[in-house]
Amino acid sequence: MSFVDIIINSLSSLEFSYTLTLLLAVVIPGLIIFLLMTVNAIVAVYMERKISAFMQDRLGPMEVGIFGFKGGKKFWGGIGQTIADAVKLLAKEDIIPKDADKFMMILAPFIIFIASFITFVGVPLSENFLISNFNIGILYILAMGSVGVIGIILAGWASNNKWSLYGAMRAAAQIISYEIPIGLTLLLPVIISGGLDVHSIVDWQLENRWLIIHSPFTFIGFFIFFVSGIAETNRVPFDIPESESELVAGWMTEYSGFRWSLFFLSEYTNMLIISLVASFVFLGGWGSPMTIFNIIPGDYMYLDGPMWGLFWLLSKAVVLIFVMMWFRWTFPRLRVDQLMYLCWKVFIPFSIANMLFVGMWEVLF
Amino acid sequence: MRDYFNNIYVGLRSFCKGLSLTFKHMKNKEELVATLQYPNEKWPIPERNIGFDMSEYNVVRSRLHVDMDDCIGCLQCERACPVDCIKIDTIKPSKDSDVDCGVTSLGTQKKLVVPRFTIDMSECMYCNLCVYPCPEECIYMVGGPNEDKHEMDYEFSQYSRDGLIFEFANATDEDIVSAGGDDYIRNRDSKIDILKEGEELKGKEVVPEAIDKKQQVSPATVSQEITHKSFSDLEDKMQRGVAKKTFLTEKKQGKSDEEILKSIESALKDKDLLDDQASALISKLGSSNQADSPPVADEITHKSFNDLEDKMQRGIAKKTFLTEKKQGKSDSDILTAIEAAFKDKDLLNDQAKDLLKSLTSTGSTEVAEEAPKGGLFELKKLNDLEDKLARGLAKKTYTKSKKDDKSSSEILEDIETVLKEADKLTDETIAVINKIKESL
Repeated sequence: MSFVDIIINSLSSLEFSYTLTLLLAVVIPGLIIFLLMTVNAIVAVYMERKISAFMQDRLGPMEVGIFGFKGGKKFWGGIGQTIADAVKLLAKEDIIPKDADKFMMILAPFIIFIASFITFVGVPLSENFLISNFNIGILYILAMGSVGVIGIILAGWASNNKWSLYGAMRAAAQIISYEIPIGLTLLLPVIISGGLDVHSIVDWQLENRWLIIHSPFTFIGFFIFFVSGIAETNRVPFDIPESESELVAGWMTEYSGFRWSLFFLSEYTNMLIISLVASFVFLGGWGSPMTIFNIIPGDYMYLDGPMWGLFWLLSKAVVLIFVMMWFRWTFPRLRVDQLMYLCWKVFIPFSIANMLFVGMWEVLF
Repeated sequence: MRDYFNNIYVGLRSFCKGLSLTFKHMKNKEELVATLQYPNEKWPIPERNIGFDMSEYNVVRSRLHVDMDDCIGCLQCERACPVDCIKIDTIKPSKDSDVDCGVTSLGTQKKLVVPRFTIDMSECMYCNLCVYPCPEECIYMVGGPNEDKHEMDYEFSQYSRDGLIFEFANATDEDIVSAGGDDYIRNRDSKIDILKEGEELKGKEVVPEAIDKKQQVSPATVSQEITHKSFSDLEDKMQRGVAKKTFLTEKKQGKSDEEILKSIESALKDKDLLDDQASALISKLGSSNQADSPPVADEITHKSFNDLEDKMQRGIAKKTFLTEKKQGKSDSDILTAIEAAFKDKDLLNDQAKDLLKSLTSTGSTEVAEEAPKGGLFELKKLNDLEDKLARGLAKKTYTKSKKDDKSSSEILEDIETVLKEADKLTDETIAVINKIKESL
C-alpha cells in the first residue's frame, strides 16, 4: 500500500470524477512533500547553525525569537532566525545578469528542485507513507537523484560566469563519480534481500537484522554509501563545486532571491533524502531500535505502527543529518585530486570487493 | 600497496579523531564558549592599580560631561578647545526682566542663560584641555576620578554622526524667551529651516527660477496658512515668543487655527502683553483664515480698545471689559467700570476719554480703519541731538512728559525749557526740535 493508493481508495468512496480523484491523488502528496521540504530546510538550517556554533564554541543565532519566545541562552535561543531568514530571502530582489542566458538561468533551479522533489516519490517515511511503491524503488531513487546535475550544469553555464562554470563542471564531475559507489553499495541490500522495492528491503531487515550489522561488509557498504551521499549533496568536506573560498558559491553565485532559495531548499532536501535512504536501506527503516538484532524474532512489531514508523524513520534520518553536519564542521574541504582519489581509488574498489564478499557471505551463512 | 592501505588507515584514524574533537567541544559548551553577547553582557572593567590613588590621576580619557547647573557660560572651555568641538551660546537677561539664572554649587551667581552647550564627541580629541580653565569645575571627563560625579561611559557609539553631538544645555524655550532671547530663537529656527530645506533638496542643484517662484509664493502661503512665522511681525520680543510658543504647543495637540488664535490671545492677555498690534494681527489671521466670519465692529468687544495707545490702558480696559462681560453687565455699565478703573490707576487721558465717549454714544464703532497715528513722536528722533548731555536731558524730559500724558508739542516745549535751563539750547538743538515739530 502506497500513499497514492490510500488516497485513491478513500476518495473513491466519495464518488468524485476520475480526473478529480487523480488530480487530488497527485496534488495532496505533492503539497505534503513540499511542506516537508520546507519544514526540513527551516529546521535543518537552524540545527546546522546551532550545531556548528556549538562545535566552534560559539552561540549561533541568539536574537530572533518566535511569538515572543526568545528561547533563553541554550539551544533554543534565536529559534525564529531561520523563519526570518526565509522571509528575507523570498523578499529579496531576483537578479538575472545582463549577459546571462535568461531562459536557462530561470529553468535551472526548477530542474534541481524538481529532481529532489520527484526523488521523494520513491522515498518512504513510514510503512504506508510511501508516495508511490515502485517495485524498482532503489533504482528509481538512484536515477532521480542524479537528475539534479543537469540543473547544476545548466545553472553554471547560463550564469555566463567562468567561476560559476568551474563550479558546475566540478559538480558534474563529482556527482557522476560518486554515483558509482552509491550504486554499487545500494546493490548490497538488493543482493541480500533479493528485491529492489522499499518494502522487501525493510521487511527483510525487520525479519532478520539491520543491514548495518548484518556483516562487516555491509557496515563498510553503509559507510561508503553515506560518505558518497554527502558528496552527492555537495556538502563539506566535498563542497568543491560551491567552494566558498575559491569560487564564492560556484554555480549559485549569480542567483539570488527565490531562485537561490530553491537551490537551498533542494540541497537540504537532498540531505534528507540521503539520510532517509541510508536509514531505510541500512538502519531498519521504520522499525524500532528493538529490531536491530531481532533477538526475539517475530516480536519486531514492538513499538510499531503508522505513527511510530514515521517517528523512527524520521529520527534515524535526523541523526544521520546531524552526522552530516558533524562532518561538515569537522573536516576541511578536499582538494579536487583528493576527491577523485577517494572516489576512484578507494570507494569504488572497496565497494566492488564488498559486493563480492557480501555475495560470498550470503552463500556461506 | 602497503602505502595505499596505510593511507586509508591514517585517513580513518584522523577521521575519528577529528569527529571526537568536535563532539567534545559541542558537549563542553558552557565553559568553552567564547561569545560575549555584547550589549547584554560586558567584560568587567578590570581593577586598575596604577600605584597611586585614583583621585590624583586626572587624565581619564572617556567622555566629556558638563554639569549644566554649575555652568556660568563663561566660554572658557570653548576657547580652550583646540578642535572647536565645544559650542556655547549665551544670552544675558535684560535688566528689567526678573530672570534668576541660579547659583552654582560653588556659590557663584549665574548671570547668563545658556541656551546651547554642545560638545561634538566625534570631533573631540580627548585632550582634556577644556577641563582646566573651567572656574566652576563643571566640565570634566566622566568616570575615573570623577566617578562620584558621573559614572564611567566609554560606550557612546551612535548610528548617525549627529548622535555624537551631546547637548547639555537645559534652558527651555520659555527660559530663553523670558531672558529676552527671542532673536536667538528666531535665528536658531531659521537655521533649522535652512537645514531642512537643504535636506529636502537631497543634493540637487537649485534652479534659480525655482527660488523666484518660492519667493513669490511664500508670502501668499504665509497669509493663507497660519504658521509660527505669522507672528514674526509682532514687534515686542516677549509677545512674539509667547505667541509662537503657544502656537506650536497648540498645533502639536492638533487644534484648529481658530482655537490656536484664541489660546494665543488668552496667553498674551495672561501676561498683559495683548496690545493693539497683537490683537490686530490675531484678528487678521483669524479673518484671513475664515473669510466669511462676521465683522467684529458691530458690538463693543475687547477689541474696541485696541485704539488706545498706552499699553497699560489697553490692558486694563480689556481686562475690565472681559471680567464685567462675564458677569453679564450691559455695555454702558462696562464702560463706566472701565473709566473707573482708569481713574484708579491715573491712566484716564484724553484719548481714553474720547474712546469711551464714542463707544458709549454709538454703542458700536468702526475703529479698525481710522486708527489715529502717532500721538507722540518717537523717542528715537531725539537721537539727532549731538550733545550727550542735551540728548540725555531731552530723553528724560520726554519720558517724564509722556508719563504725564502730554501731547507732542507740549513735550517739545518742555524739552526746550529744560534745555534752556541747562544752557544747552544751541542752534543745533533748536534745529532738531524744529525738525521734529515739522514732522508732526
